[in-house]
Amino acid sequence: MMRSLHVDGDSFLHRLQPGVKLTALAIVSLCLFTIQTPAVLAIAAIIGLAGHCMLRISPRQIWLRLRPFALIVVVVALFTAILNSPGEGLTAFFRLAALALFASLVTATTTTGDFIDVITRAALPLERIGLVRAQDVGLSIGLVIRFVPEIVSRYEAIRDAHHARGLKLNPISVAVPLIITTLRSADEIASAIDARGIRRQK
Amino acid sequence: MDIRFDKVEVRFEGRTVIHPLTVTLTERRIGIIGLNGSGKTTFARMINGLVKPSAGRVTVNGFDTVSAENDARQQSGFIFQNPQNQIILPILREDIALGLKSRKLPKANVAAAVNAVLDRFEIGHLADRRAHELSGGELQLAALASVLVTEPKILVMDEPTNQLDLRNRNLVERTIQTLPEDVIVISHDLDLITGFDRVLMFREGRIEADGAPGEVIGRYRALNGAEA
Repeated sequence: MMRSLHVDGDSFLHRLQPGVKLTALAIVSLCLFTIQTPAVLAIAAIIGLAGHCMLRISPRQIWLRLRPFALIVVVVALFTAILNSPGEGLTAFFRLAALALFASLVTATTTTGDFIDVITRAALPLERIGLVRAQDVGLSIGLVIRFVPEIVSRYEAIRDAHHARGLKLNPISVAVPLIITTLRSADEIASAIDARGIRRQK
Repeated sequence: MDIRFDKVEVRFEGRTVIHPLTVTLTERRIGIIGLNGSGKTTFARMINGLVKPSAGRVTVNGFDTVSAENDARQQSGFIFQNPQNQIILPILREDIALGLKSRKLPKANVAAAVNAVLDRFEIGHLADRRAHELSGGELQLAALASVLVTEPKILVMDEPTNQLDLRNRNLVERTIQTLPEDVIVISHDLDLITGFDRVLMFREGRIEADGAPGEVIGRYRALNGAEA
């Protein structure tokens, strides 16, 4: 069942132009990679977390949104701490956490349609020099955003099916049906895109 | 409508899915029946150019689905079995508008067209809802709106009442009956197509029967061991 990363609302961030939000996210992301002080990065992460309060969703919903990349942040930080130093691990943790929190804020306050419009406009110069079709680039990004929560839903359904049959989860028995159902669905959606004339042939 | 299949054959990986057939569809309401795997969905998908014939040609209102793909596709809309896959963007209003993006219309025109199609199906109250919050019947109406916003003359529907409860099935059936567009419906729901102008029955990639609903449905029931 299709879900959305977007959260309804009328906050300052919801009203901000999508192009401004994406540009700001790009600039902030670059800045985060130039900062080496864990305390400053921690403050950035706290600001990102506080921003989620503007969404007026429960702490549990915030956690559910952040959970998919929380594991990645922790694993990367742990490896950095082990292979380099604990200080660098801490820096990596706060940097990635802040980055993920800001990105989550942008996806929560921007609809997929707005994403597609912004990315399509941004790709227009590339279309003029014959490199890409701007509409295709926008649609691709939109579809990636569309599929993220759907893949999570599919994983949950497969996990529940395992539990219902008393089976333990293992990477192969989860990955195979997940990949097959996702590809099948992607194929059908590609047909729907063609059938609806969303991506017209040249 | 004027859909012509001229000596059309479809083969997939060495297997013949549609055996050579020639047929012309001109009626306003056409039903397609047949067992699973009989070739009816492949046949219907050719109308929208989603499946290309391996041999022969398909024309829709005069446009060849291969050499004039865009023009042919503009003539017909396709409603898939699973409306979840038909709806591409999570919010209904945005999804309906998506179909008009390639036409590069001004925003105001897009908004007006979206509002008009929402009003037509009386689903304006669902405009800002997410697809996963809609009931089966609402989803099917949303899929209809997303296709009909581009104003195709012909609508092809693949099992539109599949997986719907009785109430939603009736809602979709009533909607189909009142559509001004020409309609081709693939269905296992024989009651849905009883009042149609013509019914085709597919069997093993061939049109086994073609005629008035009573006659074709009766034969289908007899062939498959059901009571007529």
